[in-house]
Formats: sequence, C-alpha cells, structure tokens
Amino acid sequence: MAILGVDVGGTFTDAVLLAEGELRTAKVPTATRQEESVLAAAAAVGAGEVGRFTHGTTVATNALLERKGARTAFVATDGFEHLLHLRRQDRAHLYRLCAAHAEPLVPLERCHGVRERIGPARVIASLELDSLPDLGDDVESVAVCLLFAFRDASHERAVALELRRRLPGVRVVASHEVSPELREYERASTTAIDAYLGPAVSRYLEALAVATGGAGLPEPLVMRSSGGLATLAEAAAHPAVALVSGPAAGVVGAARVARAVGVENAISLDMGGTSTDVCLISGGEAGRSSEREVGGLPLRLPMVDLQTVGAGGGSIVWHDAGGALRVGPESAGADPGPACYGRGGERPTVTDANLLLGRLPPRLAGGLELDVAAAERAFGGIDPAEAVEVVNAEMLRALRLVSVERGHDPREHALVAFGGAGPLHACALAEELGIETVLVPDTAGVLSAIGLAAADERRDSVRSYVCALEDAGELPAEGEAELRYRGQSFELSVPLQPDLAEAFHRAHAARYGYADRDRAIELVAVRTAELRPGPALQLPAGRPLEETGPKRIELEGATCWLPPGWVGVRDGTSSTLRLTRQSRDRAESVK
Amino acid sequence: MRVELQVIGAALRSIADEMGAVLVRSAFSANIKERRDCSTALFDLRGRMIAQAEHIPVHLGAMPDAVAAVRAHDPRPDEAWILNDPFAGGTHLPDITLVTRTGVGFAVTRAHHADVGAAEPGSLPAESHRLDEEGVVIPPTRLDEEVLDALVARMRNPDERRGDLRAQLAAHSLAATRLDELCARRGQSRVESAMDELYAYSERRVRAAISRFPDGRFEGADTVEAADGSELELRVVLTIAGDELELDFAGTAPQHDGNLNCPLAVTRSACYFVVRCLADPDTPASGGAFAPVRVLAPEGSLLNARSPAAVAAGNVETSSRIVDVVFAAFGQAVPVPAQGQGTMNNLTLGNDRFTYYETVGGGQGACPDADGPSAVHVAMSNTLSTPTEALELAYPLRVERHELRLGSAGAGAHRGGDGVVRELRVLEPCRLSLVGERRTRGPQGASGGEPGRPGRNLLNGEELPAKVTRSLGPGDVVRVETPGGGGYGRVRNGH
Repeated sequence: MAILGVDVGGTFTDAVLLAEGELRTAKVPTATRQEESVLAAAAAVGAGEVGRFTHGTTVATNALLERKGARTAFVATDGFEHLLHLRRQDRAHLYRLCAAHAEPLVPLERCHGVRERIGPARVIASLELDSLPDLGDDVESVAVCLLFAFRDASHERAVALELRRRLPGVRVVASHEVSPELREYERASTTAIDAYLGPAVSRYLEALAVATGGAGLPEPLVMRSSGGLATLAEAAAHPAVALVSGPAAGVVGAARVARAVGVENAISLDMGGTSTDVCLISGGEAGRSSEREVGGLPLRLPMVDLQTVGAGGGSIVWHDAGGALRVGPESAGADPGPACYGRGGERPTVTDANLLLGRLPPRLAGGLELDVAAAERAFGGIDPAEAVEVVNAEMLRALRLVSVERGHDPREHALVAFGGAGPLHACALAEELGIETVLVPDTAGVLSAIGLAAADERRDSVRSYVCALEDAGELPAEGEAELRYRGQSFELSVPLQPDLAEAFHRAHAARYGYADRDRAIELVAVRTAELRPGPALQLPAGRPLEETGPKRIELEGATCWLPPGWVGVRDGTSSTLRLTRQSRDRAESVK
Repeated sequence: MRVELQVIGAALRSIADEMGAVLVRSAFSANIKERRDCSTALFDLRGRMIAQAEHIPVHLGAMPDAVAAVRAHDPRPDEAWILNDPFAGGTHLPDITLVTRTGVGFAVTRAHHADVGAAEPGSLPAESHRLDEEGVVIPPTRLDEEVLDALVARMRNPDERRGDLRAQLAAHSLAATRLDELCARRGQSRVESAMDELYAYSERRVRAAISRFPDGRFEGADTVEAADGSELELRVVLTIAGDELELDFAGTAPQHDGNLNCPLAVTRSACYFVVRCLADPDTPASGGAFAPVRVLAPEGSLLNARSPAAVAAGNVETSSRIVDVVFAAFGQAVPVPAQGQGTMNNLTLGNDRFTYYETVGGGQGACPDADGPSAVHVAMSNTLSTPTEALELAYPLRVERHELRLGSAGAGAHRGGDGVVRELRVLEPCRLSLVGERRTRGPQGASGGEPGRPGRNLLNGEELPAKVTRSLGPGDVVRVETPGGGGYGRVRNGH
C-alpha cells in the first residue's frame, strides 16, 4: 500500500507519495482553505490507494507567532485572575530593565475570577458558579485554570460545563485536559495557548476530515510536537499538542537524510515562508524537551527540542520606529505572497530580496514566473542585501542557541538545509558558524513531508501519581517512571524495572553525584509509549553534479544558492547535495 | 583561533549554567528549587570570575571575595570549602557559599538557605544588632560529612539544609567532570587561554561603553529607613574619566546598630549592576566587565561595615538603595530609568517545623523609551515567585490572593510598572518577619514623571511597619502590597 505524507505550511503545501519504490513529490500553494490544498497536493502526487496518510501543519505555530488566534478569555480562581500577567516575577532581561515580556494572549480586561478554592488535600471553598461573570458576546474561546486542578479537576470541569452551556459554540479548554501537572502559571499558559489556537485549528482539522474522506483517503494521522503521531480527533481536541508538528516532521526528515549519508550529528535548518526552525540532532536523534517557550510563552508538553524564529521567505521587510531595518514576524503568506509572485503583494519580503540578488531564478521550478519589477518597486530604497543580512542574523541567534550555547561545537556538525528558503541562506550561515559541510537533500522543498511519511507511529500516555513509590501499586512492565526524592521539585526518568527504587538511587547518583537511600522516593508519573516504527525510506539517487559558486542550483521545490568559495557535489549514489567550503581563505575574503 | 576560543568560552558558560540547573533540580527548599535564589560560577586560578549562571545580580560582584577567602587557605583539588561569614567572603548569613578547586581554577555555588539558625526562623530578622544573632557564622571551613552534620544540626529543618547543601555539592562534581572533559577535548592551555579571552573581552566591551559616557563628577544621595524609624543616608560621588569610573561613598552614614549594614562585597555588587545596565547589558558575565570600575566606601560605614555588625537586610534592602543612588548620580550624565520598587519585600514565615522565605516583585521604573514592567524584581534580585501549588504542598500556608496592584504605577510619558498584592494565610502558629522599604516615600519618577505608590504591609487588615517581627496564629492573614515604579517624562495631553 502506498504511503502519503502531506505537510501544510504557511505558504506551500507539500506532498510525497511512496509507492512500490517510487517517490513522487508535489508542492502547491497553500490556499485560504487549507484542506483544499491537502487534496490538491494529494492529487498532484497521484495518490490513489493509500494505506497510511500522515499530516503535519504549521497553521497553529503561525497563528501564535503572528497573534492571529481567537479572541480568548481566561478564568482562574478568584484572587488569581492576573496569573497570565504576573508570570513568575522574573524580568525579561537581567540588565535591560524595561525589556518587555511577550504580551499575554489574554488582555487583563478579559481575565476573570470565579469563587472557589481547592487546596493540596481537599476542597477549601465550594464552587460558586454564579460568581462567574459574563464574559461578553465577542469571546471566541475560553481558557480555565483553577488552582490544584491537576489533582482535583471537579471545579474546573463544572466551570467548563457551565461556560459551554452559557456560550454555545465557544470553545472552552480546562487546564487538566491539556497539561495536568503542578505549577499553575505554566499550566495556565499552556491552556491559554490551546484555547487561543483551538477554533482555527479544529475548524481546519474538521474540514480536512470531511475533505479527505470525500476523496477516498484514509483519515490522516497528525504529527504531534513530540515527533509521534496522533489521531485527528486527538489533535482537534487540543491543538497545542500539535503546535510544532510540521517542524517536528522536518527534524525527523533531516535526521533520516543525514543518516543516509553517514552524518549522525547535524543541525537542521528549516526555513519556510513564515518561520524558521532549527534543531540539534545528536547521534541521529532529535533532542527532546518537555517545556519550551513558543513566541515568548511557556508551553509544557512533550516536544522535539527546537528553536523557532518568526522569519522566513515570505517575511515582510520593514523599518521600525527607531529607523532600524526589521524582518518579520509579519508574513505575506501564500496570499498575496511576496511582491514578485505578482498576486498583488506590495510590501517587500525576503523572497523578493533573494530574487533581486539573483539567487532565485526568474521562473520557479513549479512554473511560477517571478516579477522582478514588482520586487524592485516593493523594495524602493531598501538594499536587499541588508534585508538578507538582517534575517540571517535572526537565524544565527537560534543556531547558536541550540549549539554553541549548549556547549556543542557547530563545527562538529553538518547543517541540513531545507524548506523553500533554507538552501538559499545556509552557506552564509555556515560560514558564520565555522560549519564546513552543508547538506541539501534533493527533496529540500518537501522534507517535512518526507519526515511525515517516514515517522514512527507513537502514542505517548502519561499517568499522574504523586505518591510514595511503595504505595504506587502495580506498574506497567515497560515505560518510564518519573521519580524524585520527596521534597524535590524535579524528577528523573527511570525505565520501569523490578527494583525501581534502587534504579532511581543509582540514576540520582549518576546525575547529581550522590544517592540518599534513607530518603523517601516519590513517584510523580509513569509515561508509556506505544511505538510502531515508520516505513524504511529509500530515496532514489539524483544525477551526479559538481558545481562551483557563485551558482544557483535549482531543486524540486527549492533553490540552493552556492556563494563564491563553495562547491556543491552530488556523487550519483545519494539524493543529497553536499556543499563544502573550497578553502577557508576564499571564504574569508567573501565576508 | 578566535572561533575556537569563542566556542570554549561558550562551553565554560554552559558549564556554569548546567551547574545552576543541577543545583535547582536536586534542591529541596522552595527558595532554591522554585525561586532559584542561587548562583553558580567558574573562576580561573588567579581568582578571577570567568563565567556565571546569571540568576541573581547581588551574587555577581560578591563571589570573588568568597574565592579570595578560600584561596588564602590554599585548598586542594579534592576539597570543598564552605563559608557564609560576611566579613570573610560572604554577604549575609543565609547565603551559603561552596568553593572547590578545579583543574583550571575554582567552581563556586552560592544559595540562599531558608534558615541558618538565627533566633528568628528564617534568619532574616527585622531587627538584629550583632551578626551572631542572625545565625550560624561559618568562616572559610573545609567541608566534610562531620562538618556538614555539625552545621546543619545548628539550623532548623536540618534534613532540608543537608539536602540543599548536597545539591550544591552535586553542582561542584558536575563542574569537575565537565571541565575535565573540556580540557581533554581542547587541551588545558587552550581552555586557560579562553578564560583569559572571556575576561578580556568583557573588559574591552565595558571600557568601550564607559568611554562613550561624558567625563565628569556627579553626585547622588538617598536614604534607607532603619527598623527604629531613623533614616540613614547613602551618598555617592561618581567620577567618569575616559574608559574608567570610580564610585566613592564617602559621606555615607556610619554602620548602625540594626541590620542594614553591608560588607563591601555587597556594595560592589550593586555598583557593578548599575554599570552593567547602563554600559553594556549584553556583556557576557565575567569579572572583566568590572575591571574598569573602582568602588570605595569608608571603613566602618553602612556600606563597608566592620565585624560584628548585623547585615541581614544589607544584602537585600540597602543593596536596592545603592542601585538607586548610583543611578541618580549617573542620571546627571546619561539617561537613566525612573526608580523601581527599591525593595525586595522580604517575607519569612516559620517555626521549628518549617521555614518559608520569599521576596515579592513590584513595579519597575519607566525607561526613557519604554514603560516599566509590572510585577518584577527590579534590581539586585531576580528570583521567581513560588507557584501557589508548590508552596501549599510543602508548607502550612495558603495563598489567598496574588494579583497586580493596579493603579500603583507612576504616570508619565512612559508609565512605571504596577506593584503586586500578595496575601498569605498561616495555618499553624508561627513567626513572621517582614523586611521592606519604600513604605513611606514612593519610588521617584524621572524627567517629570510621577512617583509610584509606596508599599504597605498589613496583618488582618491593620497596617504594619516596614520592618516587623510578629507571632501569628492559625488564620492570620499577611498582606503585602509592593511599590509601583516611577514614571518617565511628563504626562502627555489626554492622560
């Protein structure tokens, strides 16, 4: 049976179809109704009898970064309604005293309290539902986060029920449904993100299910941020779990591509139309994390450990109030798209800059004629080379963060460049970081879709305990236990095994240099995962090639820019271009 | 070569960061594990600070004295040394510092412990007159199991203290491992070169920034309020000359009978903080950033106190005021922000069974180009708030209210930040210590901006003094309203 992967990005929708050893790829512009793009992309690769259909989307990420989510209200325990605005009391920058944190998704006037109180052990004040204020007619979504709901969700459930009764059609998300874990601020932030994204993402997924069903395709599995796959219903219920789904798929694809040419340590650079994602790959595996900031807001869910920059090919180039040249986070998207697409875009974008610098061909591989005059008009007096420098500086910060700042020498890694715009910028970024090798897969334009097609089916589940280990009762045979000494706030993951206590003492000794066998051990949670490995991926080899920069190399769905001092080689056995610096001296003189 | 040094330098910084993460993640008391009231750093063999996990500014400039104090004992590589004596490398007694020798210098951890055995639980008494009333004084001492047992036995909740000290030791063993790995990979001499370069790089950047300031002599003055109601004056003369500057606190009040006194290390920290904010906020943290800064304070004064002065509040409150006076002096030379809350609002609750300590954020003063953020620590602290859920799981306390103190900010072309309202109900008999400032005069605006509102302390609705100790019974509610930040510039029409 054929395998279909479709990745919807902010600008393009990519599809790959693997059937009987043959790979077919397609790239279509993302339409306003994205389910139509999915069908169009599936049709473009000739998807017929499909056995497995996997799907990734950056719709949620883009809506968050561009702040185009739902008009959201927030309900908390009375006396704590400012939770999202109080944050954790640390400042945004230690020495820039007025540096601002990211604005909360819910403004103060839409933050409300409800009288109730649950404590660590019991209900302290019963829920007074009539204290729940009128949230207004224009609210589209509500996030509810009550204290201790991770232990006792009864009040949260009742508030959510009441809100759903009062506000039919309005999405209501309760914190225990999304992130049933200790620490109210991080839980509230995760819930607010889920509520803020909910209407847009679930509308989309519901429409998608109807559309793909009508086209005779199986219901798609949706990539989670963790790199595992969720059912469509799971993802529609809580879009926050799929917030970085497309990017996670890209990292999976990058790791596969790098491994295929014998590279285990790499940094993925996925530059699309609206945003850029970077992730460190060590020993062939993407780093993982359980909490990260997205657009400056904490999100506590299992995720691939990547950094996102709100700048991509479609990002608008502009001058800020202080006169500094800026790029993004606003994007021209697919519609109208960059000025050079000739669809009515009038503001300059990074893509327009690359065209004016001769790094994009006048006619894209997909057949789109680029309008140089329109790009020139949009840029007016702005130097396109400066715009590229500004966007590169943004991406360098993220690249340094995942490598140098975590003690990994970027020079010991290859840069895997993909996404429509990644291969245009990769060599310049590599030079800044001292990276000698850039890998550009022939499928650079659709690598996230490749990652989707190849991804493992993985369903994570977590059961919260928070009790003494000896009182936990029988545990599953396989999985991981989150354990800590009673009194600590952070856990160590230990694989489930017969003598769990001893395994924890040993893990603690290994991590922190000591074990305290007299201290009680607390079991916080057990995580289990159901794993079905994805299909093996055999990508057909590309034709042999050797090019010396400066040179434009056109790929399917992407263009690679080889600057002076670089050579690009494809040896005929693989489907990946290997770009290397010809000599250090030459490269230095380019800068 | 330069790229390699840059990479090694970043690796050193990430070791300091990882030490901080290990300390926080393996600690037991809320003040360290939730609020991150701790710092970690790497020093070179000459005792110069090379890299620091940037948690708490007041620790930044004060750690070199701890290393100097231990270095004088010529420690061996397999030894850990402990100290908290403010007159021998410490700041105030709750800050316990560990120092170990590494292959290429010293590793340091400093953590604010929730109790160090003072008469008052929590060891941050509102009133104390001599250092030995504030807890166990630890001169630089070689730490072994026996010493550790003896020390924690003199403090409340010895089990929690032991756990936190072990967490500090864990950070040190991580540093040793990581530094060995780095030296094996890069070679010891390159690591040492990178340390030199990190120090020199920060120094170059800060010198370049100072040289852009106008030369001249500028003055500042302000006061702190002692528990007995008297006002103590802080005076500073700032001299900027080329790429160096001097801050001289001659004329400041003599050390007093209360606990607002500072050892010179704390005074230096506060000065360095202001220089860092104004000169180059993005300089990587290393001692080099402060090489061009000279700090003088008369011996025996409030800001260079002699033993056995009490110092508990110097580190937290007087340090905030030093920041205000140094900003005031700089304000005559370059644009500076309006005054922030100017206090850490130290709140301690405890008995023989538990001790809980927190500091509460407030309004930041507005800047020439931006509003002041609300509900943050504004100067020498940057501790997190304790999540209500974590607090209530661990202590017999209930948070009744935690919200923005709307309307407390000073108006201006840019407005200050709002303060915070925090209400804690105690569920069993315990002692309360509250140490705050800016309770009568609000943080001042700048360039015509309005002042922020002063803070208030209340017990069951009745106003308490700025600095106070009380016995509480079950059900009592302590309410702290923290000051708003000053505004910047005149209010424009329509406001």
